[in-house]
Amino acid sequence: MSKNNSTSRIWRMTGVLSLLSTLLLIAGFSFAVKDVIFPQAAQINGIPDQNKTGLPEEAPGSLPSDSKELSVTAIGDSLAKGTGDDSGKGIARRTVELLKEQGAESKLVNNLGINGLTTEGLKHLLDEKGVQYSLRQADLIVLSIGGNDLFDGAQNLQSGRQLPSEQELEQSVTQASEQFAAAIAKLIEINPQAQLVYVGLYNPFSDLPMMREIGDGAVARWNNIVTDILSDYEKVVMVPTFDLFAQNSAKYLASDHFHPNGTGYQIIAERILQSAY
Amino acid sequence: MRELNSMIPLVKNETIKMIKKKRFYVILLVLLVLVPIFAYAQLRAAEEKRSKFGADWRREVQQAITDNQNSLGSDRVPEEWKKYRQIYIQQMKYYLEHDVNPRQPGAVAFTKEFLDNAATLFIPLLIMGIGSDIVSSERTSGTIKMLLTRPMRRWKVLLSKLITLLMFVSLIVVSTFIVCYLVSGLFFGYKGFNLPVFTGFKLQGADVDITGVHAVPQWKYILMQMGLIWFVSSVVAMLAFMVSVLVRSTAASIVIMMAALIAGNILTNLASSWTSAKYLFMVNLGLTQYLAGTPAPIEGMTLGFSLAVLAVWGLASLFVSFLVFTKQDILN
Repeated sequence: MSKNNSTSRIWRMTGVLSLLSTLLLIAGFSFAVKDVIFPQAAQINGIPDQNKTGLPEEAPGSLPSDSKELSVTAIGDSLAKGTGDDSGKGIARRTVELLKEQGAESKLVNNLGINGLTTEGLKHLLDEKGVQYSLRQADLIVLSIGGNDLFDGAQNLQSGRQLPSEQELEQSVTQASEQFAAAIAKLIEINPQAQLVYVGLYNPFSDLPMMREIGDGAVARWNNIVTDILSDYEKVVMVPTFDLFAQNSAKYLASDHFHPNGTGYQIIAERILQSAY
Repeated sequence: MRELNSMIPLVKNETIKMIKKKRFYVILLVLLVLVPIFAYAQLRAAEEKRSKFGADWRREVQQAITDNQNSLGSDRVPEEWKKYRQIYIQQMKYYLEHDVNPRQPGAVAFTKEFLDNAATLFIPLLIMGIGSDIVSSERTSGTIKMLLTRPMRRWKVLLSKLITLLMFVSLIVVSTFIVCYLVSGLFFGYKGFNLPVFTGFKLQGADVDITGVHAVPQWKYILMQMGLIWFVSSVVAMLAFMVSVLVRSTAASIVIMMAALIAGNILTNLASSWTSAKYLFMVNLGLTQYLAGTPAPIEGMTLGFSLAVLAVWGLASLFVSFLVFTKQDILN
């Protein structure tokens, strides 16, 4: 008799639980089908409205200065990212390491370098909320941009692409410098407190006889225009790199003949420290 | 009504048999052992991330976006992956734009992720564990003759087994959630039911249409996931049921189902160019990806399509099961 009771109890419990589970799951299933197939029916709910305005507007620089930590953010093209550096550190991480060696508390907020980024792309990038957030966190912003506007696709030299002519370079410099001015204005607006370091251009073709002169001319012109633009702002410096690669490209360029190698990045980082701190 | 009344004792009998076989306890035990392992792994990953990014999830998400953007430029990355990454970038940007942490740690978030990953293989495997031998075991042990000599129509006997199986499918799906939530709560805390999750990312090629994107609270999202997993599991159960009717040996029927499920997992990784593969049931098991907005394994698959394919497979296997079971001779 007692055995009979216990089986009855098991049956009742299993039956009721499975019935409830099934009903719950059917409800979930119909929610899901409705939500995926007719998404209009669902209203935006669940998150409070103030969240839609974007990320919290923290006072620029306030957070880092509280912790007395020097925050570094890198933004821009492959040089900011660190392409060609076999250790993967790039300018930003090497700068942070150097700062630490000198005894300053320092950390890398974000490395926002994107391979192939142009001045135009940088302008769009600066509209993104997450990018603005990372920039606002920084005390030191390392910017590298412009190389891809001038020497677009030059990395594809091996694949037989045409080298840019003198006129083309001339035109690129003029166009890119306008974009550059707009991007810098935006950048300063996002974080006026931070120290901004612009990494000047070098001529990646100094080891190519037919490109040496043309490239040098374009890079020199670019660096001049940029210096002029940057001189309008107080907390901005330009770190020259032109001289590094003019004679010693074999020593400082990576095997792609375009990006710096680890040693090259290390020297650029050292220069950043010399000029900014 | 008389029909129904005659069914209940049969279902009761089957349920008791199922409980006595202790298969369900084994499944609970498997969950109790595995979930802590996954939770611990997740915890370690989270700790490592925290050591790099501090408590600032926004920086972490932004870095993930940048890293993915960089891989888009590389020619070494296959086009297929680029599509995934492009979609991921746009979704992450949307989260940042609305200041919502896509990976807020917590038991609820862990459960959500676990269900996403378990939907195509792990939970179907558990279902097979109880489904594959539900008929064939009666044959192996010879009890099928006793079952069928009773004054009952054969289809009723089979139907009672099917109903029992589906009852346990529901129980397994719900207990997966319960075990997962309770155990991972020990690691991450029990909060997070009301955090928003974005759903409704519509994919058009590599572009994401965000006009339909809306937030749902996490509890509702999980409920929807469970509903979809329940549908998949029911179809897997019906297939296992058919195999169990067709194949005499329990071992063989388990092997057949396992092979089919694993083939599905391999195919979803390979099959993007063989488009007819989308009519196979095992490619359509990942229903939860339609909620999350991850691209379907094969171009042109939608939730409606997958549901239809699964429904056809499920109904066809029921048809075959009943046809064979009522017609075939029981010899040994």
